[in-house]
Amino acid sequence: MPGQIDYSKLRILPDPDTREWWEGTKQRKYLVRQCKSCGHKFFPPLPACAKCTSMDLGWFETVGRGMIHSYCVVTQPILGAFIPAAPYVVAVIELEDCREADGSVTRVAGVLTNDEAETAIGHPVEVTFDETPDAKIVVPRWRICGVGSDTWRFLE
Amino acid sequence: MGSLTDKYCIVGVGETPHMRPSNRTTLSMACEAIRKAMADAGLDHRDIDGMTSYQTGDSTTSAHVATALGMRLNYAVDIFGGGSSTEALIAHAIGLIEAGYCKTMVIFRAMNGRSGRRMGGQAPGGPAAAATAEGDNQFFMPWGWTTPAQRFGLSAMRYLRDTGCTTKAFAEVAVAHRLHASLNPKALMRSPITIEDHQRSRWVVKPFRLLDCCQETDVSAAIIVTSRERAYDLRQPPVFIMGGTARTLTESPAWNYSRGEIHYVGGNYGRNRLFGMAGISQKDVDFVSCYDAFTFTTIIQLEAYGFCGRGEAKDFVKGGTLQIDNKLPSNLSGGHLSEGYTHGVQMIIENVRQLRHRADDACPGWAEGKHTYDRKAGCRQLKRARICCAMGWGTETTSSSAILRGIVA
Repeated sequence: MPGQIDYSKLRILPDPDTREWWEGTKQRKYLVRQCKSCGHKFFPPLPACAKCTSMDLGWFETVGRGMIHSYCVVTQPILGAFIPAAPYVVAVIELEDCREADGSVTRVAGVLTNDEAETAIGHPVEVTFDETPDAKIVVPRWRICGVGSDTWRFLE
Repeated sequence: MGSLTDKYCIVGVGETPHMRPSNRTTLSMACEAIRKAMADAGLDHRDIDGMTSYQTGDSTTSAHVATALGMRLNYAVDIFGGGSSTEALIAHAIGLIEAGYCKTMVIFRAMNGRSGRRMGGQAPGGPAAAATAEGDNQFFMPWGWTTPAQRFGLSAMRYLRDTGCTTKAFAEVAVAHRLHASLNPKALMRSPITIEDHQRSRWVVKPFRLLDCCQETDVSAAIIVTSRERAYDLRQPPVFIMGGTARTLTESPAWNYSRGEIHYVGGNYGRNRLFGMAGISQKDVDFVSCYDAFTFTTIIQLEAYGFCGRGEAKDFVKGGTLQIDNKLPSNLSGGHLSEGYTHGVQMIIENVRQLRHRADDACPGWAEGKHTYDRKAGCRQLKRARICCAMGWGTETTSSSAILRGIVA
């Protein structure tokens, strides 16, 4: 397990585009934006749909599961919040229920609760949530929840 | 060919030493770099009527520099940005001079990149202080993912997986650029390194080791662009701008991880525009500058701009391809990895010096274009330096480029 992230050294400031997303994490929901016009699901929560430019947007509550698309291992952090956590793994995750008809998929990113030794591209992950000293802010994390069928690890 | 091919030239270049720390203001460093560029071109401050620069909220402005140097400008606009801005501003200069907004334009970057604000959002006061995640950073910083090494590490990792490339290819870039720095008296890091040295250096962000990362530097660098007609009367052999691109972007430029192929980089969209405008092919290029914030950024842009196929860089760079006197010499000053980091300007400066046949090396006659080509004696000048391709990089999503040619064989 990586060390604890010291969220007291990280101030997160939601804005009018993102406030409801951070409300979602507080309720242990992993939301993505969904376009009411064309149905496109996307992250992060931007004010318009990149497929049809509609600004009439809602939210889609994902099942909070996905697959590791890539990762890196931070051995030398520069933010105070992450110094006690290092080395930690940042992963890009393909969301399981955000694949669209044209084959595109929405990806998100986050810190794994797992060590590098357990990490591989292709492993399934599920969301978990870290509380912070700021009661208004809950930060999503991801943990490996199984074994992928087509996996790849950086072995150097 | 583009309608403006060869109509505009780079006529002056100059830079401060690469320092850590400078103990100077960005204004002071910018003044020095611009004075040197004017002296190089044989111009004085009354000849400059346009100025532009790029920065990330960490530098002085054209208005401040013009005030200090007593210039009366007809165009002064500073843009936001880092890597990939130099070539983009060369494009601005061409368009503005062509349209009559000004006649002779300085492009500069001044940064205390080591002693001032460092890349990656470290809080003022150091890592112990609290950092604020707002705006774009709400979806990077809470995952401890802010520095360029961290950001590019994810696309690099997927690239390694998809192509079968290993970090030995990264090492080839580090070794070549350091070899060139060893021939550059201005470079910060001049001791040659080996593939093994690279492989033994410590991890910063896997898959990047220390020797994959550039040198944070305090420095200013400047170039001067004007029309061909004016260039012929100036002090140096002109360097012609054959073509370029100005920040070609991928489909999701702000959050490249969220959709699309994460290592399909911006240069892929620039390649045909660049070579189409210049009216040449990759085979005509004698040497390149390929933005080396990291070794990986050089690797992936060699593919993006078509010097080898996608996924083929691992074979292309093997055995010293990028070293001086070999197939495609890259970053002859040592680049960001070994000379110092100026967000791209110094790569254009080195290209200009090579194309003039006046690389400022250990040869006593370099200023007159007299070179020995003896690498053991410290000569850095390429024998055949007629056409070069400059490939700038901002992030995976953002690239600018330029093809330049000299008039000296």
